[in-house]
Amino acid sequence: MNALQLALRVLRRDRRTRTSAILTGMGVAIATGLVLLLISLPFATKARAERSQWQEITYSAREQSAKLLISTSEDFVDGKKITRIDVAPVAGAAGIALPAGVPKFPAPGETWVSPELGKLVHSKPESQLADRFTPNLAGALGSDALKFPEQLVALVGHTPEDMPSDALPAPAFTHGDARVDGLLQLLAGVGVVVLVVPSLVLVASAARLTAARRERRLAAIRLAGATPGQVTNMVAAETALSAIVGALAGLVLSPALHRLATFVPWDGGTWQASDFSLPIPLTITLVVAMPVLVLLAAVLGLRRVFATPLGAAAGHTKKPLHWWRLLALPVAGAVFLFAIVQANTGGDSSGFLLLFGLALLVGSAALVGPWVTSAVGGLFVKVWRKPAGLLAGRRLRDDPKGAYRASAGVVLAVFAGSMALTLMPSLESMAGGGRAFQDSVLYVESDPANAAKIAQQTDAALTKYGEPARSTVVRQVGLRVAEGSGHSNYSALVMDCATAVRLTRFNVGTCDAKPGIYSSYSLDLGKASVVSYYKTGDEPGTPLAPGVPLHLLSKADADVVGSLLIDPSALPAGLVTSPEERVTVAVPSTDGNRETVRTALGGAAGGAQVYSRELRLGNQQSELGDLRRVTVIGLLAAAVLAGCSAAVATAGSVMDRRRTFGALIAAGTPVKVLARALRVEAALPALVATIGAGVVGILVGIGLFSLVDDQGITMSPWILAPVVLGVGVALLAASVCTPALNRVRAEPLAEE
Amino acid sequence: MEPRTYDPQSPDLAGGTAVLSGRGLVKRYGAQYALAGIDIDIRRGDAVAIVGPSGSGKTSLLHVLAGILRADDGEIFLAGQRIDQLNEKKRSELRRTEFGFVFQSGMLVAELTAEENVALPMLLGGASRKEAVAAGRQWLARLGLAGKETRRPGELSGGEAQRVAIARALTHRPKVIFADEPTGALDTRTGRDTMDALLGAAAESGAAVIVVTHDRELAESMPRTVSIRDGLIATRLAA
Repeated sequence: MNALQLALRVLRRDRRTRTSAILTGMGVAIATGLVLLLISLPFATKARAERSQWQEITYSAREQSAKLLISTSEDFVDGKKITRIDVAPVAGAAGIALPAGVPKFPAPGETWVSPELGKLVHSKPESQLADRFTPNLAGALGSDALKFPEQLVALVGHTPEDMPSDALPAPAFTHGDARVDGLLQLLAGVGVVVLVVPSLVLVASAARLTAARRERRLAAIRLAGATPGQVTNMVAAETALSAIVGALAGLVLSPALHRLATFVPWDGGTWQASDFSLPIPLTITLVVAMPVLVLLAAVLGLRRVFATPLGAAAGHTKKPLHWWRLLALPVAGAVFLFAIVQANTGGDSSGFLLLFGLALLVGSAALVGPWVTSAVGGLFVKVWRKPAGLLAGRRLRDDPKGAYRASAGVVLAVFAGSMALTLMPSLESMAGGGRAFQDSVLYVESDPANAAKIAQQTDAALTKYGEPARSTVVRQVGLRVAEGSGHSNYSALVMDCATAVRLTRFNVGTCDAKPGIYSSYSLDLGKASVVSYYKTGDEPGTPLAPGVPLHLLSKADADVVGSLLIDPSALPAGLVTSPEERVTVAVPSTDGNRETVRTALGGAAGGAQVYSRELRLGNQQSELGDLRRVTVIGLLAAAVLAGCSAAVATAGSVMDRRRTFGALIAAGTPVKVLARALRVEAALPALVATIGAGVVGILVGIGLFSLVDDQGITMSPWILAPVVLGVGVALLAASVCTPALNRVRAEPLAEE
Repeated sequence: MEPRTYDPQSPDLAGGTAVLSGRGLVKRYGAQYALAGIDIDIRRGDAVAIVGPSGSGKTSLLHVLAGILRADDGEIFLAGQRIDQLNEKKRSELRRTEFGFVFQSGMLVAELTAEENVALPMLLGGASRKEAVAAGRQWLARLGLAGKETRRPGELSGGEAQRVAIARALTHRPKVIFADEPTGALDTRTGRDTMDALLGAAAESGAAVIVVTHDRELAESMPRTVSIRDGLIATRLAA
C-alpha cells in the first residue's frame, strides 16, 4: 500500500481525521481565496487607472506636437464628482486616436456622457446640470472609458477658440501604463498579513485536531521500521489531499470573492468584475504556493517523530520557555522606533526599514505571546482558588505555545485594529483646511481681466434661473510687514466687513468699527505695505495710508489661518493691479439652489473648476470613508477567521484530552466546571495577549502617525474596541468547548 | 431474552445490608445484549471481583452500576435509595460524592501534580484549596507516595500513578470504589502491590470495592468473585 492509499484509507475510516482534513481544506481555501483577492488589488487599481487615463493630462504630452487641446476639471452634482474633459481638435479630429469606450471625437457643441451622468442630466432641471455642458448630448461613453461603472464623466467638444483658458495642447489622449493606487497597495499588503495569518492559524489548528493521534500512529509506523522518507511521504500524502483540494476550492471560490469585492466602493466608486483578474502565471504560482507552504509546515512538524519515536508515542515533557523570548519585543520596538526616526528625518531606506520593523513587531508576538501565556499560567497556579483556575493555570503553564496558538489570530487582528483606530481619528482630525470662505460658498479662481465678465455672466444666468443669489468679486492681495532686516508676507482678501460676514468664516463681529484691516495676528501697520501679486515676496509694496485701524480677530474657526481681510477703502490709493493678481468670483449658495448656482458659475467660467470648502471636506470624508470601510471589512474578516481558528483550537484541545476529560466526567465532574476551566484557559491568554497587542498597536499607530503629522494624536474611546472584540471573539470561540465536552459526556470512557 | 440469573452470594436487599444493589439490569447495544438481566448486591466494605471473558459485559455492568451508562431496564439502589431514575446532573453528583473511580491507566490529569490530582474531587465538591490539598497529601502519604506530591503523572512509574489514582478515588471518602482493570497496565508484582494498596485503603475507609478484571489470579485473591458470561452471571462461582 503506498502513502496515498494509506492516507485515503485513514480518511475513510477515521471521522476525526476527516473533520481535520475538511477544516484544513477550508482554511487553505479561505487563505487561497483571500490571497488571490488581495494580491489582485494593485492590479485592479491599475486596470481602473488605465481605463480612465485618457481623462487626465500628462506633462509629457505638452511637449509633443499637438493634435488636440484638452482641459480637465472636476465638477460636482449632489456631492458626486463629475470628471469633465473639454477637447478641441487642432487640425481636424481624423488623426486623433480615440480611447477605448469613446465612440467618437466630440464635435464642437457635442457632449458625450457616461450612462450614470446621462441619467442625472435627464432627471434634473436643465438649470441644475444640463446647462453646464454644450447643448447637444451626443451619446453615451462605454464602460471601457470609465474608471468604475457609476463614474460621472462628460467629454465636451469645442472649437479651439472657445476652449477653457487653461487648456493645454496634447499629441493624443493619455494612454499607456498607469500607476497603481499606493494606498490600496499598502492596505493589500497589510491585508495579506492580517487575513492570511489567521487563515494559516486555522489550518494549523485544524491539523492539531489529529496531531496527537497521528503522532502515535506515525511513531508506531516508525517503530515498525519505516524510514523517515516513508513517514514523510505518508504525512505529505495526508496533508496534500486536503491542501490541494483546499487550494483548488480557493481558486474556484475566487471569482465569487472578486464579485463581492466589486461592491466595495473605493476612490469614488465600485469596480468592474474584470478589474480583479490576475496574470495566469501569478495565479498558478499562488495556488501552488499555498499547499506547498502547508505541506512544508506539516513535514517540519515531524521532527519529533523522527528524533524520538518512542518519546513521541509515550508523551513528552515540555521544556520551560526561556526569558530571552521577552527581549524580542523591545528589540523589534527599537528597530521600529529607529525606522520611524529615520523616516522622519528622510533617510534613504526608511520605507524598507519601516516595513522590516513592522514585520519584526508582528513576528515578536510569536515569541513573547507563549512566554506571557506561560507566566499567566504560573500566576494562576500560585493563586488558584477553584478547580477551573487550577486546571486552566496548569494547562497554560504546561503548553503555553499550544494555548497561545489558539489566540494568535485574534492577537494579530487586535494589533492591526488598534493601529488602524489610532491612525483613523488622528487622520480625521487632520481633515479640514481650505480657504476662508464659508463651506457653502461656491467660487472660481480667475484673473482681473476675466473676473468681472464671469461675475456678470453668472449673475445673468442666476437671474434667468430665478435665483436671487449674486456673485461677488474678491481680490486677493499681499500684505508685507517689515520685521528687522526682513519682512513677513501675508495673504489678504479684499472685502468689506458685511461681505466678510456673508461669505467667510472670519469672526468680524458686528462691523461697527471703522473700516480697516482684520487680522488674527498682531501687526505693526506702520511698517506694512500692499502688493497686488507677489512672485518672490520681494516686490516693492505700496505703503498703507496712515491711520488704518487694525482689528484683531478672535479665532472662531481653527481652520481659518494665514489670511487677513482688508476693507477696499483701506487699500492704498496708488496700488497698481497686476494682471496676475488672484481674483475669486464667489457666490453663496443654499442646499436648495446649490446645483443651480454651480451651473451658473461653472457655465460662466467656461468649464473652469468650481470650488467649495464643502466639497473639499466631502472629498476628505470620502477618502477617510474608503479607509474606514476597508479597515472595518478587513478587521471583521480577520475577527471571523481568528474566531474560527480559536474555536477549532479549543475543540482540538478537548479532543487531545478526551480520555482525561472522559474520566473526570465519569467520576462525576460537572461538564460546566470543565467548560469553565476551558473558557478560562482560552480567555486568559487571549485577554493578556489582546491587551498587549492593543497597546503595541496603539504605539505603532502613534509612530506611523508621526510620519504624517507632528500634531498630537487624537484618541477615541473606540480605540478599545479591538481589545473588547478580540476578547469577545476568543470567549465565543472558547464556548465551543461545551458541545465538545457534551460529546465526551455521551460516551465518557469510549476509546477515541 | 434469556432467563434472569442471580448471584447466589447476594444478600437479601430487604435485609438492608447491601450498600449497592442492581435488580434485573439490562443493557443493549443495538440487537446485542451486554447485560441480559443481572441482579447483584454489594455490601458495605465488600471487595468484589467481576471477571469474565472479553465482551462478556463486565465493564458494562460496572458502568451501569456507577451510573455512567443508563440501563435499558432494571433498578439500582444505593443504600436502599433508587438511583437509576436520577437525571444526569444528579447522577454526576452521586458519582462525585458517593463513588470513587480507578481506571486502567490511572487517567490522571497530565498537567496537574500528584497532590492536585488527588485533591481534585474534593475541590469539585466545594472544599477549599487548603483543605483539599492537605487531604491529598495525607492520602498520598498513606499510599507510600510521600515526597512525590509535586510530581506530574508523566514523572511517576505506572504503579505510582495507579496509587495516585487510588488516593484520588478515596480522598472524598466514597461508599463504593469502582476499579476497571486497575492493574491491566502493570507488571504482576506492581499489580499485586497496587491491589493491596487499594483494598487496604478501602477497608480502612469502609468503602466497598468493585473490581473488573480479566486477571484470574487477581480475582482469586479477592474475597468475593462474580463471574459474567454473555451478559449474565454464571451459575458456578468462585468462592
